[in-house]
Amino acid sequence: MAPTAESLAPLALAYLERQPWFGLAIAGLAPAPAALLSYSVLRDGRPGLARLLVGRGERRFQLLVGWRNPAAVAGMLGGREEAIIGSADDGGEDVLVYEALADDTLALELLDLATQGAEHAERVRHVSTLVSHASLVFDDRLFMKCYRVLEPGVRPEVEAMLRLDSVGFNAMLAPIAAWRAEGFDVALVREFLPGALEGRLLALTSLRDLLARAAEVREASGAPAEDLEEATSATGGDLASEMRRLGAMTGSLHLALAAAFGDRVATPEALAAIVAAGCGEGLERLERARSLVGAIAALEPGTTGRAIRLHGDYHLRRVMRAEPGWVVAGFSDDPLYASRRPHTSLPARTGSPLEDVADMCFSLRQVAREAAQLRPSDEAELAEALAGAWARRNQEAFLEGYRAAPGIDRLLPGHPAAAGLLLEAFALVRDRRYEASPAEG
Amino acid sequence: MAAPARDPSLVSLGVAERARPLDDDPHWYRRAVFYELGVRGFYDSDGDGVGDLEGVIEKLDYLAWLGIDCIWLLPFYPSPLRDGGYDVADYFSVAPELGTVEDVKRLVDEAHARGIRVIADLVINHTSDQHPWFQESRSSRDNPKADWYVWSDDDQRWSDVRVIFCDTEPSNWTYDPVRGQYYWHRFFHHQPDLNFDNPEVRDAIVSVLRFWLEVGLDGFRLDAVAYLYERDGTRCENLPETHAFLRRLRREMDRDFPGRVLLAEVNQWPADVVDYFGDGDECHMCFHFPLMPRMFMAVRREQRFPITEILAQTPAIPPNCQWGIFLRNHDELTLEMVADDERDYMYQEYAADPRMRKNLGIRRRLAPLIDNDRRVAELLYAFLLSLPGAPVLYYGDEILMGDNIYLGDRDAVRTPMQWTPDRNGGFSRADFAQLHLPPLMDPVYGYQALNVESALRDTSSFLHWLRRMLAIRRHHLVLATGSLEVLPADNPSVLAYVRSGERGEPGGRETILCVANLSRFAQATELSLGRFEGLRPIELIGRSAFPPATDGYQITLGPYGFYWFELEER
Repeated sequence: MAPTAESLAPLALAYLERQPWFGLAIAGLAPAPAALLSYSVLRDGRPGLARLLVGRGERRFQLLVGWRNPAAVAGMLGGREEAIIGSADDGGEDVLVYEALADDTLALELLDLATQGAEHAERVRHVSTLVSHASLVFDDRLFMKCYRVLEPGVRPEVEAMLRLDSVGFNAMLAPIAAWRAEGFDVALVREFLPGALEGRLLALTSLRDLLARAAEVREASGAPAEDLEEATSATGGDLASEMRRLGAMTGSLHLALAAAFGDRVATPEALAAIVAAGCGEGLERLERARSLVGAIAALEPGTTGRAIRLHGDYHLRRVMRAEPGWVVAGFSDDPLYASRRPHTSLPARTGSPLEDVADMCFSLRQVAREAAQLRPSDEAELAEALAGAWARRNQEAFLEGYRAAPGIDRLLPGHPAAAGLLLEAFALVRDRRYEASPAEG
Repeated sequence: MAAPARDPSLVSLGVAERARPLDDDPHWYRRAVFYELGVRGFYDSDGDGVGDLEGVIEKLDYLAWLGIDCIWLLPFYPSPLRDGGYDVADYFSVAPELGTVEDVKRLVDEAHARGIRVIADLVINHTSDQHPWFQESRSSRDNPKADWYVWSDDDQRWSDVRVIFCDTEPSNWTYDPVRGQYYWHRFFHHQPDLNFDNPEVRDAIVSVLRFWLEVGLDGFRLDAVAYLYERDGTRCENLPETHAFLRRLRREMDRDFPGRVLLAEVNQWPADVVDYFGDGDECHMCFHFPLMPRMFMAVRREQRFPITEILAQTPAIPPNCQWGIFLRNHDELTLEMVADDERDYMYQEYAADPRMRKNLGIRRRLAPLIDNDRRVAELLYAFLLSLPGAPVLYYGDEILMGDNIYLGDRDAVRTPMQWTPDRNGGFSRADFAQLHLPPLMDPVYGYQALNVESALRDTSSFLHWLRRMLAIRRHHLVLATGSLEVLPADNPSVLAYVRSGERGEPGGRETILCVANLSRFAQATELSLGRFEGLRPIELIGRSAFPPATDGYQITLGPYGFYWFELEER
């Protein structure tokens, strides 16, 4: 037994309209009615489980719903009362319908379904709820992303992880299963490393130690720039050796992406066009941008390295430090992100691997900037100088590790000057993007 | 046995310990706390300026009070002392300035009367070139001991084998003009390697062990045990023949001297070191070398990965075995002694850090290494006493003694134990000029400021703190023998782990949660304690109850703070 589609549709659509994430997902779209496109019962009985596919204009959404007898719901949701969708009729019996992920029993069932019975768990933990997906952790061992905003065709994140896995790349949270239904990737299950931490947290730990010493450093050095560099290396929380390791891992990621998706020549014209497009209106305004585009276009063909499938959204939140070393935690998976920001690195995009490299360097500069801003105002000047020195030191270490990755030379421009030019140009693009939209930084 | 004589200074302070019986647990080493001391620097009983065995006997009450379980004596054999006594010139006697074999026997008896065991260093890979065996071997090519060392007509054999002391030794071969041949040595040129392919040598070494076991020693710390044999086409380390010989030693010990231990010094990666446990039929204990620098590194970096990644790479060991872990000892981290993997890691971590670089290869005591920060000392000891392994304390570190780097690498950390604020720090009644090494007299670490007597009087001293921690550890054996699981924490500066296993009484289980803050700033974190839902964390030092365990357990820690929680049924 299950509630009918007719009884569920108005409840579910009204529920979606109430959800902040849904509002964000349709922001800026032309007004259009939402409609229930399909209704698949995944589990009969009590509790029941179903997938609703909802369309609004061109966009598609997944809503997983569960139902139980009203008395059984009381207390079961444990503070997640906002997950209740409403009352429905199920064969003459009243049931309370709610978002299925809030029901631990159903969440565990979803893991079984997503992995076709290959994985079972005893405990589930809710980690995060973003616009594009909700995340669950099972037994501190498995991680499941249930997509809310669906993407037609193969989702780039799913594709990238499965292909990388197939070429033996293991510095990532390994994919366990991709759940495909009704023409969409609806969920991804990957491994979960309980001790692993976002790169950004490590960076902040390092900066915390350095910036707290602002006063000591000032006394000791009088703060000329060269002493600041020394101070960053002498501080306990120094991150350089970790960044060197991250650089090496990034090199192996790019080689694996090339192996998985192939690579082709990156022509100077194409690279110049990418930089020009990335600079947007800044191209008119910034002389340096114009000269970089010109210099890149003038590079000798065949000297500018290869173009590969990029990570495309490579920054400190996308990498994690785990016990065995650095791992890629995930890929850009938000279809809304790409559609709203035409100049951002897009998933499933091809380009020079130095674009990813420049993105990570930007991320280091950005986290340093943010940390410096949190210091008391009378330390601001020194804190910014220290943060700048920190970013330079760690970028250098990252680049050093990257360039030392065995085999990476094959993908990079043959001449260091060309590589330097491209890195500077991509860094400029990244800074421009940040200026245009700081929230996306 | 007669009641042991009491140290009068301890009696007057009211701290003399009542005798603890020596327990008969054959696996005592798995939960023991070791205390490493050099007889020369501990206490001089006869006023000749050199510490002696009688001096150690006189200080046993202090060690019993502190709560250690086993003394590890640095080499006390006759020696030209060109390598701190690790160059043995006679295996069957005691250096005359330290005492006699009879004194060793008496030390063992007196220690046992206080519930303390005694093990001693033993070097079996090589002897001093002054050893009569070598003198005879070098005298001709056909004497009875001609084949007791590794001789060769040229210096080309095993030319690929690394030279460990590459700064001082150009080769593993040295020419002997007396015999007109080269002899093999993995360490200093004055320490020729014994030839273990010769069955007479193997028998001789077995008889050395049997001699000291009959005197009463509870075991040996075997020095440089990875290098016993040489084989073409190998690195001449960790060879199967070495393991076979260790199994033979173990068999003889188990048969005739049950309950004694072999503690191996194998300065290699944990995955390689575990071979020395065999199937529980080789060494009872091995040192875990990489853990020590990583504890320092984690505090320096303010993040847990240096520790957690080495724990993750540490394989399980047989149930009757134990790691030996330490913060400092007489002779550690120099890069030439560490395995390749660890050397790469240390280079990467240390090379960029001027302060760590400065300390690399220099033997420092704990306190100077951590800028005499007591909070860091407590944190590091909290790790030492709660991570898997038997902790090895180094004499003097219990009062946070300093070092004297001007004495050079070998002696910097071997200055006399500081007992009192009196002349020579109470170490010796000899004239200052007669002392074998000068005691520390600087304003921070000097004996006037830092000594056992003062620390005993001050109940908030580090010494008293450490004693309390040792007592807590003794009552919670799971800290010694339990399983280890590192818990995820969302703050990189926080390291949390659970030790669990059987409690002392049959059928009982015990779970202890350890949480530590590696940062010099206060930190908060969230721990996933859903598995322990409903259990109440009881802090072990003050027995304070904390809120019951939940999935997202919020916890805050002061700078370098740590907690040990017993998880109790409510």
